[in-house]
Amino acid sequence: MASAPANESVVAEVHRMASVGRMLAAVVHELNTPIASLLSNSQTALRSIELLKDLVAGGRDPARAMAVLDNLASLAAVDELACERVAAVVRSLRPFSRAGGVRCQTRIHDLLDDALKLVEWTYRRRIAVQRDFGEIPEIECLPEALRQVFLNLLVNAGQAIEGEGVVTVRTRAEGDCIHIAISDTGKGIRPEDRPRIFSRGFTTKPAGEGTGLGLALARDIVTGAHGGSIDFESQPGAGATFHVRLPIAYNRHAD
Amino acid sequence: MQTNAQPVVMIVDDEEMVITSISAYLRLETEYQIDGFTDPQEAARRLETNPVDVVVTDFLMPKMNGVQLLARSKQLQPEAARILLTGHADKQNAILAINEVGVYQYLEKPWDNAQLLLVIQSAIERTQLFRQLREKISELDAAHGNLKDIQTRLLRAFL
Ligand SMILES: Nc1ncnc2c1ncn2[C@@H]1O[C@H](COP(=O)(O)OP(=O)(O)OP(=O)(O)O)[C@@H](O)[C@H]1O
Ligand SMILES: [Mg+2]
Repeated sequence: MASAPANESVVAEVHRMASVGRMLAAVVHELNTPIASLLSNSQTALRSIELLKDLVAGGRDPARAMAVLDNLASLAAVDELACERVAAVVRSLRPFSRAGGVRCQTRIHDLLDDALKLVEWTYRRRIAVQRDFGEIPEIECLPEALRQVFLNLLVNAGQAIEGEGVVTVRTRAEGDCIHIAISDTGKGIRPEDRPRIFSRGFTTKPAGEGTGLGLALARDIVTGAHGGSIDFESQPGAGATFHVRLPIAYNRHAD
Repeated sequence: MQTNAQPVVMIVDDEEMVITSISAYLRLETEYQIDGFTDPQEAARRLETNPVDVVVTDFLMPKMNGVQLLARSKQLQPEAARILLTGHADKQNAILAINEVGVYQYLEKPWDNAQLLLVIQSAIERTQLFRQLREKISELDAAHGNLKDIQTRLLRAFL
């Protein structure tokens, strides 16, 4: 099943774009509320100014003018909150706007946080995230690629949970490896699917929701580019855990 | 339920900032009483005891969606106008559900304040007309009952 490196990167790029595209729906939804609020507030501010001008020019009803001002003041706090929400969306998308990248010393927890921030809106209220981060050293790796791996695993975890559930992200130093475990309380993996889930194009999701590339790419990145391993355990009906192990000192000249 | 002297507008959205923005605008332009709820179940309980003229609700909310809330509102206060104010992403599902409850208006976020106000104003008028009509009908019923009564007594007295 090996293909030319050029194809590898094309497949990875297509998958990245597709997953960003699907994420876009959540992004639009997340931006809509603060933007709607900001638009309404600016209309209210303009109307308030008109009213205040009349009140001031007329030199009457100072109580009414104060009420209009108080009303305006109550919106300033909302404006700030709304802007913060928009800024948070932008901040959480930024790490994923870059593809490729170079090897560098990286804190794996930062990459996990980046991926978690991005899925938070789609998870919100439905899924509780538990971070069980241990003491782990920085490692030299391809941060862009690993961030995408963690996103793929977290999106899968979220998609496996129907209704409410829990996703746990656990990290530990384990001998000469870092062990990252992403568990969900979702529907689990059927025994007959077990041998196939890392195959390129295998998906149990409806078209538009899955391309079946997420795990195949994750495995290429973890094993091929980092000399690590990825495997899973699952109880059908009771969730799944994906284990990623990355060597702390990987000799990159070996690949 | 009787007609409210001061119109009551119920606003339900799990996002506090939506309630704050709409309330601030309505307070500026109207004398309406505004009841905001971030919890649709709490809003539904309020409808059991307090008459409202309009319910404006979001669609996608935890615990209870907007259409479920409007169905409850229809049951408890059939005259109160029902308005759905929803994000674009939920449109498809919202429209499917709208047919079940009968919605006065469907608006999308972001909304235009002036348009929202127009919709709420005409919804209140409609609600109050319905309530007045019902009061008149029950007055007529009472008057009719009185006439019946007199007729029976007359018949009894003379026949
Ligand atoms: N956490 C999980 N719980 C249950 N099943 C899973 C989980 N992760 C993966 N799977 C199964 O493995 C299949 C392949 O996963 P993979 O991430 O490669 O593709 P996908 O999620 O279907 O699509 P894509 O990731 O390309 O959008 C999924 O369709 C699903 O059946
Ligand atoms: Mg996937």
